[in-house]
Amino acid sequence: MNWILSKIFTRNSIININYRIVSPIILLCLLSLFLLNSTSSESSFITSTFSRQLLWLTIGIFVFISAQFLRIQFFNEYAYHFYLILIIAILGTYFMPIKGGSQRWLIFGPLSIQPSEIGKVLMVFVLAKFLSDKRENFNHLRIIISTILLIVLPALMVFNQPDLGTSIIYLAITYPMLYWAGIRPYYLFIVISPAISVLAAFNIIAFYLWMLLIIILFIYSQPKVLEGVILFIINVSCGLLTPYIWENILYEHQRNRILTFLDPLRDPQGAGYQIIQSMTAIGSGGFWGKGLGQGTQTHLRYLPVRDTDFIISVSGEELGLFSILFILVSYSFFIYWILVYAVKIRNNFSSLVMIGFVSILFVHLLVNMGMTVGLFPVTGLPAPFISYGGSFLLTCILMIGLINNITNNEI
Amino acid sequence: METGIGLKFGQRRRILFLISLALMLGLAFRFYSIQIINYDSYSNKSAKNSVRKIIKTAPRGIIYDRNLVPIVDNRPTYGLSLVPYDVSEEFNYTLFEQITSLPEVEIKSKIESIKKRFSRFKPFPLKRHVNFEERSRIEENKLEFPGVNFSEFPARTYPNEARLTHALGYLRTVTDEVLKKADPELNYQYGDVFGFNGLERIYEKSLRGNDGVEFRLVDIYGIDHGKYITDREYEIGIGKPLILSIDSKLQIKAEYLLVGKKGSVICMNPQNGEVLAFVSSPDYDLNSFIGPIPYKLWNQWNQNPEKPLMNRGIQGMYPPGSVIKLISAAYALDNKIVDKNWLVLCNGAYAYGDRTFHCWNTTGHGHVDITQSIKYSCNIFYYQLIQKIGFEKWSEIVSQFGFGKKTGIDIPGERRGIVPTRKYMNDKYTSRGWGKGSLLNFVIGQGDVLVTPQQVIQIMNLIATSGNSYGPHIKKGVESKPINISFKKSTWEFLKDATLSVVNDDEGTGKNANSNFGKVAGKTGTAQNPHGEDHSWFSGYITLPNNKMMSLVVIVENGGKGSQVGASTARELFNTFAELNK
Repeated sequence: MNWILSKIFTRNSIININYRIVSPIILLCLLSLFLLNSTSSESSFITSTFSRQLLWLTIGIFVFISAQFLRIQFFNEYAYHFYLILIIAILGTYFMPIKGGSQRWLIFGPLSIQPSEIGKVLMVFVLAKFLSDKRENFNHLRIIISTILLIVLPALMVFNQPDLGTSIIYLAITYPMLYWAGIRPYYLFIVISPAISVLAAFNIIAFYLWMLLIIILFIYSQPKVLEGVILFIINVSCGLLTPYIWENILYEHQRNRILTFLDPLRDPQGAGYQIIQSMTAIGSGGFWGKGLGQGTQTHLRYLPVRDTDFIISVSGEELGLFSILFILVSYSFFIYWILVYAVKIRNNFSSLVMIGFVSILFVHLLVNMGMTVGLFPVTGLPAPFISYGGSFLLTCILMIGLINNITNNEI
Repeated sequence: METGIGLKFGQRRRILFLISLALMLGLAFRFYSIQIINYDSYSNKSAKNSVRKIIKTAPRGIIYDRNLVPIVDNRPTYGLSLVPYDVSEEFNYTLFEQITSLPEVEIKSKIESIKKRFSRFKPFPLKRHVNFEERSRIEENKLEFPGVNFSEFPARTYPNEARLTHALGYLRTVTDEVLKKADPELNYQYGDVFGFNGLERIYEKSLRGNDGVEFRLVDIYGIDHGKYITDREYEIGIGKPLILSIDSKLQIKAEYLLVGKKGSVICMNPQNGEVLAFVSSPDYDLNSFIGPIPYKLWNQWNQNPEKPLMNRGIQGMYPPGSVIKLISAAYALDNKIVDKNWLVLCNGAYAYGDRTFHCWNTTGHGHVDITQSIKYSCNIFYYQLIQKIGFEKWSEIVSQFGFGKKTGIDIPGERRGIVPTRKYMNDKYTSRGWGKGSLLNFVIGQGDVLVTPQQVIQIMNLIATSGNSYGPHIKKGVESKPINISFKKSTWEFLKDATLSVVNDDEGTGKNANSNFGKVAGKTGTAQNPHGEDHSWFSGYITLPNNKMMSLVVIVENGGKGSQVGASTARELFNTFAELNK
């Protein structure tokens, strides 16, 4: 027992609060409380999202403090064990009853756990471990493909739950971490280029421009002739096959579903409804907003899921563009300092963990905010520290706690 | 070792930071374009989203009788609607159908289709005019009907025992066609109700009032969040009250007397043209529906062989019978065509051309002078008299008394009746198709001459006022057009005496109409009906000791001789009038 505890925890940890990282987060949490207080005005205090968020934040303080005593290298040593446990846990959800149209939870009586949520953190450890392992022959393509294989399995399982948002997060942390680990951008580009070819195929001019770009890049980075030709052929055939598959293999309703997903405003009464209401809320806010508690879209309930998915719209309506800029600036400071520390860290694993965590938070924010203004489809990803929500908030605070721990102990 | 970490670290940091900064700038620009560049359009949209225009239906004006007893009032009725978004699977369609008789399948499919639409949060109107009982039953079972909503608006109610059905008329819903034709001043909206018939139609403009407009903040569930202050709202303008000259107590009595009979009763004040009672029987029940008349019910009434929708007082066209003899007699005296001593021998039959015309008394009246001719209602006297007057003069004088023309009463749908002229007969039968004998029929009120009860009462009004009466009106205080006949005073005295003797003499045909409360004058009539029993007429007037007057006309279809049903009905009404005006 003692042995296990000494693996997980450390006694001689430096406890210090790094305000460069924590203060933007505290500001965002305060903003969240203001917004939730506004949206909670109609419900009783006890059951309101405001008071519950306050409770979660209190618990979050304990999570933050506990995180200071964790031994970071423990996650390095046992990363692959976590991977296995995660896979088994996600597999376990397939045997659980369907809740709200999906099977994301492991349910033990009153307690329900969403493995994919903590899985975001665990996958960062797994990738950090894999990418920080020292190798004899550093083959960029082989590392990329192994990494992708490593991540694709849980990502597909989560996608199948179905939980599109979380699987996007799994994939989204991969690229920044690969880049941080030293993979040449050229290879990263090669891997993603067929996907872009598929998208470009919908417009003949875009496709030609894209092909031209690929050729220029190949000439510029001078790969082996055979490699270059093969990659070019793959891209061209992806592009050429797409219209064929689109026209002849997909059914009308499947095509419609894809189009609606990519552009929800096509369907203003269905998928686009929430986004239109959200954009109306944000647009009517102007620069200074209508004032806290004054948003008609918010308070007359035209805005859907305003406490979680669309909290940014509440902010946009009641506090205006000002609050949006405040959020973005806070995140910029946060990201800036994380990157600064990630460079300074002696330990590659910890450095990659920091990059993974900041990627998770940033992609959440990006997708959530983009969704409220119609740039991205509605995927149900909350805005970190701003949206109401218990387990996601605690996960985020845990990440901040670990980052704080790393900056204190590993620089 | 060639792991990348440590290689050009600072550069990678800068690139990652620049990429995230670029993405955030992109986001910021998107927010900027929505919140600043397109602020006006979104702001507008947000206002439209939450502000709902509420039209408050103005209650129609209350209709009172002459003593300010309400005859038509308003009561709240309810509109039933469903918010499709709130209709869950627990919704008990079967019970809903039982209560509202709205077909289950239809509602289900409607709701399902709206659920997919943008408007799924807005109440969807299912039924207007839900009565209180239906509403209570739905409220009792509210948990079974998630999403049910009620709105309240005024509808007509008829609180008085006096029905006054045909005079009041009914309401209908405004349709596209009505909208096209209607006076723009009335500002009809699709779905409004409007007076389709009767007084409701004639006085539509003042009864209708102005609907109020109010703007309210409404959330997505349709829940009200208070008033939205704007200068586009206006106050509700209640319809103006309408006071009738009808005396509801007299009306009740008149309706009572005609229960189970077909016919009409009209009572008037001859001195000013006020209508005191107006009955057409059979009628229909205005209380049997709420709001506009349901098409199905209307159809049913329309096809009823008893013709309850027909307003017999102004639309029923009958042969006038003997009452019309008064006009010929008065004209002959006034123009000295005959004098009071001119005698005719009545032996029950009169041969004219190749036809024989009969008196109703087949044994004959013996020698009859002009006064007796009215008292006994002798036909033979008039067969002779008309030959001295002539067709043209007869048509002219009868028209002067208002026959063949609308009386101008303030109820729509009045008919003219027919006063035959030479031209009319030629057009109808060709010049060879009719003989002079037709005129002998006309003079005793049979044949082609057709009149409405409202026209017949006018003779009595003129006699009672010595030729200075007024056109009829039901709204009190209306300046109606005077009707004047310039006979000599002695002619009017003769008519008064003759009609008095009809009622007061032992041998008079109208003695059943006599009342102990005042002086009654009148004339019976029997309109021959080729389809069955004759129609029974009585028209007359009473003068009370305090000089108050009431004229009346009674026609009972298939009632037989006027001396029977017609006269006794009249007596009851004279008595009631006397009691009410002591």
